Amino acid sequence: MTPAWLLDIFAALMLVVAAVSAARLVTARPWVRGGAAAGPAGPDVDVAHLLMAIAMAGMLSASLTTLPNTAWEVIFGLMTAYFAWRVWRDAQANGVRALAGGHCAPHLAHSGAMLYMFLALAAPAAGGSGMADMGGASGSAMQTLEYPTLAFVFALILAGYSVWDLDQLSGRRYVLAGAGVQLATAHVPAMAGGAEPAAAALSSPAVTGDAASPSAPSAAGPLPGGSRGRGPGVRALLLSPGTTVGCRIVMGITMAFMLVIMI
Amino acid sequence: MSDIAVAGGSTAWRGGLGVAAQAAGKRVDARRALQLALAGVWLLDAVLQYQSFMYTKGFSQMLAGTADGNPSVIARPITWDATLVGHHLVLVNTLFATIQLLLGLGIAFRPTLRLALAASVAWSLGVWWFGEGLGGVLSGAASPLNGAPGAVIIYALLAVLLWPADRQAPAPFTAARAVGAQVARALWLVLWLSLAYFALTPANRAPGAVSGMISGMESGQPGWLAAIDRGAASLVTGQGLATSIALAVALVVIAAGVYMPPEIAKATLVLAMVVALVIWVVGEGFGMILAGGATDPNSGLPLVLLALAYWPAKAMTAPAAGTERTAS
Repeated sequence: MTPAWLLDIFAALMLVVAAVSAARLVTARPWVRGGAAAGPAGPDVDVAHLLMAIAMAGMLSASLTTLPNTAWEVIFGLMTAYFAWRVWRDAQANGVRALAGGHCAPHLAHSGAMLYMFLALAAPAAGGSGMADMGGASGSAMQTLEYPTLAFVFALILAGYSVWDLDQLSGRRYVLAGAGVQLATAHVPAMAGGAEPAAAALSSPAVTGDAASPSAPSAAGPLPGGSRGRGPGVRALLLSPGTTVGCRIVMGITMAFMLVIMI
Repeated sequence: MSDIAVAGGSTAWRGGLGVAAQAAGKRVDARRALQLALAGVWLLDAVLQYQSFMYTKGFSQMLAGTADGNPSVIARPITWDATLVGHHLVLVNTLFATIQLLLGLGIAFRPTLRLALAASVAWSLGVWWFGEGLGGVLSGAASPLNGAPGAVIIYALLAVLLWPADRQAPAPFTAARAVGAQVARALWLVLWLSLAYFALTPANRAPGAVSGMISGMESGQPGWLAAIDRGAASLVTGQGLATSIALAVALVVIAAGVYMPPEIAKATLVLAMVVALVIWVVGEGFGMILAGGATDPNSGLPLVLLALAYWPAKAMTAPAAGTERTAS
């Protein structure tokens, strides 16, 4: 039997992801700033991460009670439909490659996997009471998934996206140092919806990969959203796409883990 | 896939790593793509190692079983290792799984690529001995259909061939970049000729050997895969010798293919991938992952990756200028 403490560790990781996603939402306040337009790391993604992380934590830990399975099925059904629509639009705009490599494709895979997990739970306690009893091979009363081939396919896809995300994240290390500066100087004003700050961002030293100017953060002036004095670094880090991708990597691996141990 | 700056609207959400980053992030050369595939396989191995079955005595018994038929110098350490695992099952298995997880993440994370590849070679060799009994190579149980010469030894080979160095530039194929074309071809030849040899051993060419091996894969598999296994087994029932000879001929052709002109080499590489996929699906049942209790996807999948590493360079995505700084 997969030890309960191991499942609890993964559940704790998911709660961290949920907290980070919630903090991103609260910090950026898209409902105030009109930044709700869906982007590759937009609020829709954070909402998706938040819901998925809570659902997974609830599945992993017997001590956590979240929503009933039916509610999650509806939520992830809607989420899957939404990201399928986004991927479809992306493919229409950017070609067939967007179906697998577009910004929304991993989110579609994640939500599809979540929907599958809730729909395919086949076993004695499919009532959302945690997965402490899950696992397929040792035979006792355990939660397993119907159509295990799908579980395997989803696990492969999720593992693939996770390593790809990690590669992309680490591949940008030369410009990541500047990204924080860029976020501090250009992104926050851009949240108001103006195109000019974004254009400025594209011409900033950070974009070209040059070393960021140490004076750049102060040039941004006080940050909106009450973060004055809290330091732009934390805020920039929280709102950076790297944080979103990091959350996605952790969730992808955890999801693959859950799928495999329920085969 | 990557979250990169897009001008306009809610830039703070989208981040802003810029055009240069986008271009660098999007380009991945053939070697890096294969490294990532290897990372994905390690990641899959890790989550498989976390399965419930691995936390039961069945896992240590499975390890102990690989000692059977091996010379005592090989078998004794395996037995010792299996006993150790049996005594500290939760700790040791969690450690095993976590190491594999770190290998996968380490290969995918560019700054730790070399360290992770080097560690994966060492780990693979250890697992090949203590976890797979050298793939049955010395016990007479090895067959191309059951995973010989061992999935992890192919991981190690891939790690060496995909090492981020350029000994030969321009290289005729990806696997030649790190070790040179001659060495890479020699390794390919040895691997596939050894598979041909194993296909012809007495145990594998017996009348019911191949069909028995395939039908043995049915247990616990989903219906569609069990049906494929049944069909394949009935197709070769009593045809052990003929099947073994046909398989061996195909394997020899594959082995020699990398010495041929590119067009012929491509054809033999396609044959290699087809054979590897047939082995993976029919002979190995996807490593028995769908039946539960598998520790890895077995040899079929890494053999496909290996064949891709030998694909003639012009047909592969050429390394784009500027990517070498960060990629592979």
